[in-house]
Amino acid sequence: MTISHHPPEDLLADYATGALDEAERLVVGVHVAECGRCRRFVRAIEQLAGASLAQVEPVAMRADAFDAVMARIDRRPQPARQVSAIAEIDPELADLPEMVKRYKIGKRRRVAPGISMRPIMLSGDGKSRAFLLRSEPGARMLEHTHSGNELTCVLKGSFSHLGGYYGPGDFDYGDDEVDHRPVVGDEGPCVCLVAMTGDLRMHGLLGRLISPFVRL
Amino acid sequence: MDWAELIGRVAARGDREAFKALFEHFAPRIKGFLIKTGCNPDEAEEIAQSTMVSVWTKAGQFDPSTAGAAAWIFTIARNQRIDAARKATREGRLSKEIVLDEEADPTLAADQIVSRVEDATRVAAAIERLSVEQSTVIRLSFIEERPHSEIAAVLGLPLGTVKSRIRLAMNRLRDLLDDAT
Repeated sequence: MTISHHPPEDLLADYATGALDEAERLVVGVHVAECGRCRRFVRAIEQLAGASLAQVEPVAMRADAFDAVMARIDRRPQPARQVSAIAEIDPELADLPEMVKRYKIGKRRRVAPGISMRPIMLSGDGKSRAFLLRSEPGARMLEHTHSGNELTCVLKGSFSHLGGYYGPGDFDYGDDEVDHRPVVGDEGPCVCLVAMTGDLRMHGLLGRLISPFVRL
Repeated sequence: MDWAELIGRVAARGDREAFKALFEHFAPRIKGFLIKTGCNPDEAEEIAQSTMVSVWTKAGQFDPSTAGAAAWIFTIARNQRIDAARKATREGRLSKEIVLDEEADPTLAADQIVSRVEDATRVAAAIERLSVEQSTVIRLSFIEERPHSEIAAVLGLPLGTVKSRIRLAMNRLRDLLDDAT
């Protein structure tokens, strides 16, 4: 897998320090898991954070903290249950990255001709949403801008827009200044993991007509 | 003190004395770090405690050839903090739809031992070559999450200079990591 599009550095740093919200963390995490270059960047920030932790002014723990911790260790909880049962019975989800499989994934909804999405059920601690976006070969997303940010990691297939060609593992970052009009490659359906804050805004009359239905 | 060695002793034989030394050093620093980055003291205490529980249970996964002890403990504290936020939301919504395991991020802990050691060498070399000025702005901006205006005040620099210095530091880190091939 050749990855040529990466998240901006500040997004990787926020990922390393845990500052991203859940949807963003998932999309950046899926890219980082596939990309040695970005993984090293994240590790570098973690190392700097470790050095920072070592230098910070300590704040005294409660008097009983050590005993409380030992008590919790001595009655260690059962290992948490893993695996989402859905992934096993839904062949379409079988080859998703592990990080995505840990979530419950909602029903497919049609967005536009040749384009559908499945929401990822996050625990809801953030302001962004995540979903799997599937587009048929040759499909063309409507011209759109955002009121917030859009983070995309390609899982399967490809698309192209003004920024270049995006294949599996590639990361696309769109903010409210970017005008997207991606075209899906013709080698097969394109599946992307997307995190989005704010709303999608369609351009033009058609966009305004359909946007009430395009509840991404 | 060799923290990595103490973690090794916890992993090998559940050495409580070694763990106590780790606790006394790191728990108050984790708490201090969390308060500095926006937690209230009660949250910070709770997350610091659960971080130390995880240090015990995950001690066997610690590999001193791929990460420093402090960086490893930082990643555990970070994941515990993410998890605490997630649990708080779930309780708030009485939602039980998702099954999550306690580790917030499997990719940061898992697989590929050989490449991880190589990664660690490259990462250490890059950090070494970062100037003090550059690692300072990265620390203030991303790790301590201070607003740019505050960093400008701390360093006695104009806001614009702070912004460009952060950008340059991030690009430089990226270049240093890419160079080391």
